Amino acid sequence: MGFVWHIAVRYFRSTRADAHIRALSTLTAGGLAVGTAALVLALAALAGFQNLLLEDLTRHTPALQIEFGGGSAGEGAAATESLRDLAELAAATNGVAGVQELLYARGWLADEDRPFAVEVLGYEKTPPPWIPVPGEAISGLIVPVSAALRMGLAVGDTVRVVSPRPGLTPVGPQPRTRMLPVDLIYRSGRAEEADDPVLVPLEQASALFAGGDRRLDLTLAPGADPEEIGDFLRRGIDPAVATVTTWREANRALLFVLRLEKGLVFSAVALIVAVASFALLAALSMVLSSKRAEVGVLAAMGAPPARLQRVFLLLGALLSVGGASLGGAAGAGLAAFLDRYRVISTPSDVYVVDYVPFLVRGTDVLVVLVVTVLFTAAAAVIGARKASLLHPVEAMRSART
Amino acid sequence: MIAVNGVTKAYQDGAVRRQVLRGVDLEVARGSTAAIVGPSGSGKSTLLNILGALDTPDAGSVRVDGVDLTASRPSALAGFRNRSLGFVFQFHQLLPDFTALENVMMPGRIAGRPTSSLSALALALLDQVGLADRAGAFPQQLSGGERQRIAICRALVLEPAVLLADEPTGNLDSRSGEQVLELLDTLRRRRDTTMLLVTHNPAVANRCRKVLRLDGGRLTALGA
Repeated sequence: MGFVWHIAVRYFRSTRADAHIRALSTLTAGGLAVGTAALVLALAALAGFQNLLLEDLTRHTPALQIEFGGGSAGEGAAATESLRDLAELAAATNGVAGVQELLYARGWLADEDRPFAVEVLGYEKTPPPWIPVPGEAISGLIVPVSAALRMGLAVGDTVRVVSPRPGLTPVGPQPRTRMLPVDLIYRSGRAEEADDPVLVPLEQASALFAGGDRRLDLTLAPGADPEEIGDFLRRGIDPAVATVTTWREANRALLFVLRLEKGLVFSAVALIVAVASFALLAALSMVLSSKRAEVGVLAAMGAPPARLQRVFLLLGALLSVGGASLGGAAGAGLAAFLDRYRVISTPSDVYVVDYVPFLVRGTDVLVVLVVTVLFTAAAAVIGARKASLLHPVEAMRSART
Repeated sequence: MIAVNGVTKAYQDGAVRRQVLRGVDLEVARGSTAAIVGPSGSGKSTLLNILGALDTPDAGSVRVDGVDLTASRPSALAGFRNRSLGFVFQFHQLLPDFTALENVMMPGRIAGRPTSSLSALALALLDQVGLADRAGAFPQQLSGGERQRIAICRALVLEPAVLLADEPTGNLDSRSGEQVLELLDTLRRRRDTTMLLVTHNPAVANRCRKVLRLDGGRLTALGA
């Protein structure tokens, strides 16, 4: 054991002897334990929620989408870059596993009494993955449970789909309508079920809602990078005709809020660690004050200031490493326990899950430990610097006064 | 071995500047002994601190064991203190968290000496002063005389060229004081160590080859 370790370890043991220093060092270790545990726990809770949210988001958002500006594709300047051309271009791109054409519009479902406003989604081959409906395209309607309940619809009923775009007839403009059977009723499981769309086969939807918004949803091969493929597609598409958006870009505001939330929670909880670091500085100052004469003697015997500084840096590390490690381990263990046994429940009609999920990420724990080390190191450096600046004669004189 | 020329030192005491040393000259040959006597506050300890590279003079030159202390950097002076000087203080200044053996080994630990050989050396020294059986005791478990004997062992463990002692018996009764002085002299002779001690006790001073009086900031020889 070298000189620095020898002295630091002995001083660390001596902190048990003095009641004040013992109280302060216990407060330091306890504060750091609570602080790191709270940080790990808070980040695990956030990560758990955000992980579920992102999983939900990726289920409901295509990896890449190509949206056509100002109405349907193929009109005006888009003549040479028709929807089909773009779909073929996208399908031929390396890493793209599938292309699905969708049409978004607002319309009505009407029974004999009155119309009900609904979102209409025209789909090309199969319903989008976020609609929990198995199998191939169906010739009839797929109606959300919210609309079915409002209208009293059941599978097999026939309902009139009405478009806001009128068609010209010999007797003047008339609403475009079509009677279609209800083939399926679905429940999306989303919090905003009232906004779930009525799914209509694309062919029918195009006939009714010719002016609806067209979009191509791209499914990527496993491991393909949406950003890279998006950049590639942007180079081949006139931005006046269509825009390429990755799922991250489409949810930029939400992702920013998630990052902001994480940063704010981290900053707030990190204050506990900061306060514990002040306690560490106080503990080191008290140790230095009680060992002032001894530090002077060590300096008189030839211990260089830099080594005396290292003694107190190491002492600071010894005083803090136990608390921080214990807190980190306790926080991670508690988070794993709370997640495994779903101890904390939440109202399932408000949140996407009925319990508080925890996800301990190695990077989060590492960040917590790095921040704790930085805080405590700053406190230890201040304390250690005081030790290195002691004048041996003045320090030894303090033993007699 | 010790050569001091024209050393001055003043302290700021509130609004007053106190001139403690006024052109002190001193020479002590290798292996010799010298005592500095004088009334309290005459600057004896200040001079000793300057000779021990613990303080710096305002003017003048100080050479100890061939090293110009006034021209050396602080880091070099720390090494010099460890290598060439041994200190015995009035209040022993043992480290309370360490045993007697560990206290004696401390200068060697600072120097980075191997623990095993250092331990053997320290135990041999403790044996010479009759405290081998107290090696594992902490300072608070020892008497004043025992503590001072351990402090002497600590000062001599690295066989320094110069031993500086500040009132080494000032805190002891006459019998213990006499024992400590005998011990100091015996160990010093074996190693041919130069010794300079500060005391206000004429009997202690008279054991040295050279006795100097510091008064009014000036050093005058009383006998040689």
